[in-house]
Order: sequence, then C-alpha cells, then structure tokens
Amino acid sequence: MPEFIAKPASLKELWKQLPSLPSSRRYLAGGTDLVTADNAGADHSGCWIDIGDLPELRAVKETASSLFIGSAVKISELERSAPVRKWCPVLSAAIPHFASPSLRNMATLGGNAANASPCADGVCALVAEDASVLLALKDARRRLPLKDLFTGPKRTALKRDELILGFEVPKRPHAGAYFKLGPRARFGISKAAVALAAEISGGRVKRAAVALGSVAPVPLYAARTSAWLAGRELSPETAAEAAELIKSEVSPITDARSEAAYRREMCGVLLSRALESAAA
Amino acid sequence: MEKLSYVGKSLPRKDAEIKATGAAQYAADRDFAGMLHAAAVRSPRPRIKILSISDAKARKVPGYVTLVTYRDIKGVNKWPVVMQDYPFLPEREARFAGETVALVVADTARAARKAAALVEIKYRELPYVDDPLKALEKGAVKIYGRDNVISSFVIKRGAVDEAFRKAAFTVEGEFSTNYQVHAYLETQGSVAVPEAGGGMTVHSTTQCPFYVLDAVSAALGIPYHKVKILQTVTGGGFGGKEDVPALVASHAALCAAKTGRPVKLIYGRKEDFQSMSKRHPGWARVSYAADKNGKITACRVKYVLDGGAYSTLSPIVLWRGTVHAAGPYKIPNVGIETFAAATNKVPAGAFRGFGQPQICFAQESLIDELAEKAGLDPVRFRLKNLLEPGDRTVTGQRLKSSCGLSELVQAVRSRSGWDKKAATPQVRGDIATGIGFSAVYYGVGLGAKGRYLDRAGALVNVYKDGSVGVNVGNAEMGQGALTVLAQIAAETLNAPYAGVRVEEVDSSKVPDSGPTVASRTTLMSGNAIIEAATPIRERVFKTAHSMLTGLGADPSGGMTAAGGVFSMGGRSVAFKAVVAECWNRRLKMAEQGWYAAPRTTFRLRDGQGDAYGVYSYSADAAEVEVDLKTGVTRVKKIWAAYDVGKIVNPRLALGQAQGGILQGMSWALYENLVYKNGIMVNPNFTDYVIATTADKPEYDITFIEKPYAEGPYRAKGMGEVPLIGVAPAVANAIKNACGARVKSVPLLPEKVWKELKKG
Repeated sequence: MPEFIAKPASLKELWKQLPSLPSSRRYLAGGTDLVTADNAGADHSGCWIDIGDLPELRAVKETASSLFIGSAVKISELERSAPVRKWCPVLSAAIPHFASPSLRNMATLGGNAANASPCADGVCALVAEDASVLLALKDARRRLPLKDLFTGPKRTALKRDELILGFEVPKRPHAGAYFKLGPRARFGISKAAVALAAEISGGRVKRAAVALGSVAPVPLYAARTSAWLAGRELSPETAAEAAELIKSEVSPITDARSEAAYRREMCGVLLSRALESAAA
Repeated sequence: MEKLSYVGKSLPRKDAEIKATGAAQYAADRDFAGMLHAAAVRSPRPRIKILSISDAKARKVPGYVTLVTYRDIKGVNKWPVVMQDYPFLPEREARFAGETVALVVADTARAARKAAALVEIKYRELPYVDDPLKALEKGAVKIYGRDNVISSFVIKRGAVDEAFRKAAFTVEGEFSTNYQVHAYLETQGSVAVPEAGGGMTVHSTTQCPFYVLDAVSAALGIPYHKVKILQTVTGGGFGGKEDVPALVASHAALCAAKTGRPVKLIYGRKEDFQSMSKRHPGWARVSYAADKNGKITACRVKYVLDGGAYSTLSPIVLWRGTVHAAGPYKIPNVGIETFAAATNKVPAGAFRGFGQPQICFAQESLIDELAEKAGLDPVRFRLKNLLEPGDRTVTGQRLKSSCGLSELVQAVRSRSGWDKKAATPQVRGDIATGIGFSAVYYGVGLGAKGRYLDRAGALVNVYKDGSVGVNVGNAEMGQGALTVLAQIAAETLNAPYAGVRVEEVDSSKVPDSGPTVASRTTLMSGNAIIEAATPIRERVFKTAHSMLTGLGADPSGGMTAAGGVFSMGGRSVAFKAVVAECWNRRLKMAEQGWYAAPRTTFRLRDGQGDAYGVYSYSADAAEVEVDLKTGVTRVKKIWAAYDVGKIVNPRLALGQAQGGILQGMSWALYENLVYKNGIMVNPNFTDYVIATTADKPEYDITFIEKPYAEGPYRAKGMGEVPLIGVAPAVANAIKNACGARVKSVPLLPEKVWKELKKG
C-alpha cells in the first residue's frame, strides 16, 4: 500500500488536488483489483486517489433515452437496482457470475473497466448492452463506445489522470443472456464467457450484440457475428451457424486457466445456449 | 455395553466460541514488547549456485535491523526431519524457486518485506530437473544422490508373472495426479521470544510441536530443556503444518537469537504457496489380473511421487502409498515398486491421506475397468474380492475383527440405489448422469515405518475446585481434538464435560508425543489420557464411595457414576465435592499417562509384515452430472460409509466426513497447481481454485462402528479416511455417465471434453 492515499470530497476538489499529488498515482474505487495487486507486490504506486465515495460517480440515473451508471456504484447496488434490471438484462444476468457476494459489495464497474482485463464479466456484459463510457479530465469530457476503451490486455485508451465518470446504456427493450464457463460453479475467472443482447420480435432477431470474455486480448465485441444475426429467425439452425461463426472471430490462448482449442469450441457452445435462452 | 455419559455424544466444540467470535489468538495475534519482524529472501530460480548475498540496498529502508544468513546458525545447518538433507538456510546452492535463502529483520513487517525485496542474491543458474519421471532416467541431471531417488520400496508376494500369464482378464493403465495445496485459512507463522539465560520460547502454528522443538534446538545449538514450543490456535493444517512449521519457527528463532529480541515471521499467501509443502504429484502404472470367476489373482504397480528438492517427509509418504497400493483386496500375487524422485520444485510432504489418494485414484479407477472386462458390476466385483476379517493384506498381515469393509460397501450400495442407477445411466439434453464407486482401507497411526515415533503422553491435573486441566502432545488444528479428548477425559474421570479443558500443546508439559498426523490423535492421546486419568479415577471413585457411605447411603446396590455425579442408595454427590474431599485427604490428583502403539513390522526386502496396528475403512458412491458439450462435471451426491471404530463425537465425525469429501472432490475436479520451467505459475487463490460451498454435493454419510479393543472407548482413526476414495468414485462416475475415462487428476472439463471428442 502506498504511503499516501488522497480522498477528495468532490470532482472539483479532485481536479484541484491533482497537481500536488505524487506522480505515480492511481485511482482507487472498490479496491478489489488494486489492493489484491498490492498484496501480491504488483502495485508500486506512490499514491492512491480514493474516488469510491465521489457523489458524482455514485448514482444510477435515468434520462428519457438512456440509463447512466456511475463508475463507483457497487456491483451489489446494481444487483438491487430496478432500472438496471429493466434496461440492462445482460448485465443483470452477468452479476451472479461476477466474483463473490463479498467482492460485489466492494467492486465497481468503473474499476472493472479501468482494470481492462479481458475476463471482466461486468464490462463484457456492458459491451453487449451497447454502452458508452463517459470520461473526464478536469473540464475536458469525452465519450467513447465502451468497446473502444480497450486497447489490449490491461491497457486502455484512458489518458493520464483521466477518470471514468460512468456508463450510458441506451433504453431499448431487449432480451439478455450471460453464459460463463468458469473453473467452478461460482466465483471464478472465466475460461470463456458470452454476453448476448438481442431485440427479438416474432421469432426473429431484429438486432443482436455479442460480446465475449477471456477469448481475445480485450473484452471482445463480436462485430461479424452480431451483424450476421440481425434479421435471422431464432432457430436451432441459426444457433448452430452462429456458433460456427463466433469460433472464427475469437483468438483464445492457452494458459494456466484453460486451453485455446477448448475455449474456442466453448464460445460456440455458450453462444448457441445464449440464443436458445433468448428464444425461450 | 457400558453406559457412557460423554463419549458418543455430539457435545459442543470446546473452541467454537473463540473461533466464531474472533477471540482466538493465532500466531499473528501474538505480540511482545520490543518485537521485530522478519521476512524471507527467496531464490528466484529453480536451481542456483549462490555467489553472494548483499543487503547494501536493503539497509537504506527505514527500520531495517539486520540480515540473517546461514552464517548466523550456531547449531548444525541441517533441519532434522526424516533424512537430513535440507539446510535451515542454504550455503552454496538453492534447489527450488521460492526456497528461503536469507531473512531480513526490521522494525515493522512492512519494512522487512520491503527490505527483503531489495536484498540482492548474485547467482549462477544450474541445470535443473522438473519432471519426476525424467529425473529417474539414466541420463538425467543429477540433483539428488547418484540417481535422484529419495526413497524406494518394494512389496513382493507370490508369483506375479505367472499369475498374469494364467489370467482370464488383465487390465493396465497409467494414471497421474497433480499437487494439492493445503489452503489452510491461517498461513505459516511463528513468533520466537528469547529468554534470559539463552533459552527460546517459540509460538508456532503447527500440528507437530515436537518437530518444531527438534528443529529450533538444532538450529540454535542449545539443549531441548532451554527451548519451549507453545502451539498457538492453529487455523488449519491438513498435513501442511506437519514438517514445515519447524523450518519457519527455526527461521524466526535464528532472527530472535541474533537480535536478542522477539521476532515475528508470518508468511504471505504467495510465499506460502511457493515454499511450503504440498500433496505430492503422483504417477502410477498399475495392472491387475483376474481369473474367469472374477477373483483378482495379481497386481503389479509402479508408483512414482514427485518429492521436490528435499526429501522432507517423502520416504514415509511413499511408504504409506506402497503398503496400500494394491487396494483393499485379497490378492495372492503382488509386485509393487515405488519411488520418490527428486526435482527442483517445492518439497512435497504430508497431506490428508499421505500418499494414498494418488495411488488409490489409479487402482480404484482400474478396478472398474477390470470389473467391466470380467463382465461384472463394479460393486459385485469388489464384493468378491474385498478384505474381510481373517484375510491377509498384500504385506501378509492378517486382519483382525475390526474390519467392516464389506458391510460398508453393502450399505453404500443400498443407500445410493446403486444396482438400478449403475445399470442405467441417464442422458437428458446435454447432461449425462452417472454413478461411480470406490473402496478404501487406511492403516491408522504411523505404522512400521514410523513406529519409533508412535507413542504419546498426557498430563491430567484435577484442581481443587473440580476443574480439570489436560495437556497432550497432539495438536488441535481444526479437527476437534480438544473436544474429543475432553470427552474422553470427562468420561474416564466422571467429571462434568464443561469443567474439562484440554490445552494447545506446550512442549514442556508433556513428553514428545510424535506428530499429529496419520489419524492418530484420538487413538494415541486418548489412550494416554485414559492411562493418566485411571489412577485419579480410582481415588475419586473410592472417595465418593466413602462420602456416600458417610452420608448414610446403603451400599448394597453399589455406586453408579454418570454425568459428573456419583449415586448410591438414593444419595448422591457431585464430582466437585468429591474432588475437594480428595484434596482434603491429600490424594495425588495429577498424573502423567503414556501410550505406545502395538508392535508393527515391515521387511524391506519384500515388504512383508504387520504394517499397521489396525485399519479404518471407507466406501464411496458418487453421482455426477457431466455436460456433454463442455465436459464440466458436477458432483450431485456422495454416499459414504465409514468404519472408524467407535465414534466419540458424532457431529464432529460428520464434519470430518463432509470436509474430507469436499476436499477430496476439490482435488479431484478443480485444484490445478501449474509449474512452467520450474516456476510456479499460479501461487494464489485467483488461479488455484478450490471448491466452494456452491460446488458442495449432497452428503449421505453412514458410520458402521466396528469396535477396536485397543482404542480409547474402542475408537480407531477418522481424519484422513473420508478424502481418499472420492477422486476415483468421481472418475468412475464420469465414465459411467458418458464413457470418458480420464486418467489424470484434476478431472478438468478440458480433459473430459477431449475424451468425449474421441468418441
């Protein structure tokens, strides 16, 4: 743990304090990645800036066309949020697979995104929800499609000191599914995960978004498979063809957690199961 | 049958409240005035020649005190375990990545860790071996003796080759199992406190305080009577706190001796993974032969354990595996050869089951294959061949009456609905359901190979107020020893259970009682308590009788004693009052007890002899669901039956059974420690995954109590038995469900999937 932890009371105060803080600084939200890294001797920051209680980052707000989820809202709060359940069915399906209940009491989506792990369950679900990410650096604000935030394993497009304010999800009624293959029933890092958002009408897919975890260098938005699914009839044949297609879109590796060939195959299995569940 | 007041009852755990409320004092909770903190400097590579160690940079860390290396060892730089090949701190060569090379002492734990990271080891890398089978090849790099063999045993019986030639059915298979990490909640740790006059008191989380005593005395070069080991409340052991706490405590003691101040050394989880003992990875080639009636005629086994860089407990782990390698069957012709091979990896040691689970997975998987070849149901096949009272084991030992194995198998068979389920595995959608079986025997106690250590002492002290203090040499590590031993003491003395306290081990109060391993504590310490308490009991009973007579009770009906009360002729008197009267009469109210295990034998030439005093037994049936698309296995239910003699505390026994099953299932399905090029890849609970309650199967547990006359209130041993048979039962269930025979543990989805793809 660094010698120095700053805890600004507001965004305004944060931007004011920033220049005076040690240069090797990092934002601390729930701490479930950062504190773990520190315990393992893998974090060498000179300063943590605790943004976990910044009021601007702690809210879930609805506008006419979208839902805003503050970056420091706890995952367990999202689990209990009615608007999240209504407008983010993929995220809602993913939350029970997100770490453990105790970690969900601490962890945040902002941290999940900033950590930029390809296996991040929350982020993977949000990519399928077609979320945007809202960023701020002092007065400069910008918005990116969430899928474009990730540039590689543990690497993002965030500028130095740039802060994730939150995520915006368009309010469009859709079905959602999250199928994860982990090392045990619950509380594990995925070997492969598939997030599916689908607008379905009359047994047909009007629009679909497929995102995958742990099978590419980043939380992967499967553009080709998503586009292919649009307009298809929801049938076992469609599921089988989509399963074949998705296998060509992922680039899994072999590591201590699983094997490349298995992971690739499982992307197909999980996607066809996700499509079956959306049809049900 | 005698009527018992405390033994056989589910009395509350003695340590439940302090553990549940957080009041328990673990090693890390012990603080002393002027205390310093130590941190280990570890070898970064699998095998290095140490050229120099420099603390030039570490000295700049505020709070830095000193560096401790092998030069600070006043005693002999050899840790006394079984064989003495492991230096307390290496002088020229470090033999595995993670080995402690030196220690840093500082004012705070944080400063010590920071400084330790700045200590520079200059080294040259040496060629290393990381595969135990390759280590045994002729051309292998030599890292241990002339042949990299730490230890080797044989069992020879009958004419094996001939039996295979004449067999109607034979099977052969190669099987392997991976490491298992103990995953105790409390990591290793110790606090060493220097005493005036050159002594050392060591507070240690350990299941073997007398191993710690041996080591600290050896490292400091001071006599035993100047060293005192106080076992702290121990947050889990499972074998992981058998040998290695002695190393950790010796390191703390070396730091304390050098600085003259108390020193605390508490391991982080990562270094605990990297450097502390593990279940040995195992490899085995097993073959069985049977005649046309399905009687097993021969068994051949080659069994190799990956011992790691130092021998530690490998010889005795291997020996237990050797004795049990053929399974609990009548087999006239047996050829078993076993090896513990040295590699440049973490030294493997004790883990619940102690060399048996690895070989049991192989042989019980293969027994199913043999049954299939012989055209018999796996349970009926086992019943034809199981050891029964009067039969001889593969070491030629004749089993006495306490052997209920075939009853266990029948109980599990009927409770699980085996006959119907095994014959008709179900498939619904992508999910296949199947059931698998295993049968196990387990030699209780240390047996012939550890016979010199197989004794235990006890001190029973009845105070003036009627409270009872008991000291033993075996440790509570979560298994319930304090409770079960208090029940035995209360029963023997007719003292109220609430007034009996068994303490954590203090090495100065009882003689060396050997290790707390091998499911031996209830048997050994229990018998020692009975021996100590019996003369006190006689005094108490005699005094009670005279008090009741004095009160005018009619003695013609005799006196009864139950639940802490003595009654006769309508009068009664409580234990407390009787004790007060004993003290008034100046009777001796404290006694030492001692129990030595019965004689055991093992002839090295052919492995024949009475290997263990007595055996416990188990049978398991596992019902699983296998996802045919993903290869993921879920264990739905385990039916298990045990013969562990008399059950002293049914609730604790049930806990032992459930915990053992879950730990066995976790090893079978999930636990996968990965080494790459001699470096441990996943020394953490993010990527080394163990079962959680969400994975827990439903349990159906039966005890069939075959009394053991030598045991305290006829008990045998319980702790390890429930783990051993789980992996093969699960593997056999997977085979039954979907046809996939996976021959390596963990039975990962990836492996099942590959087998399924083969079709």
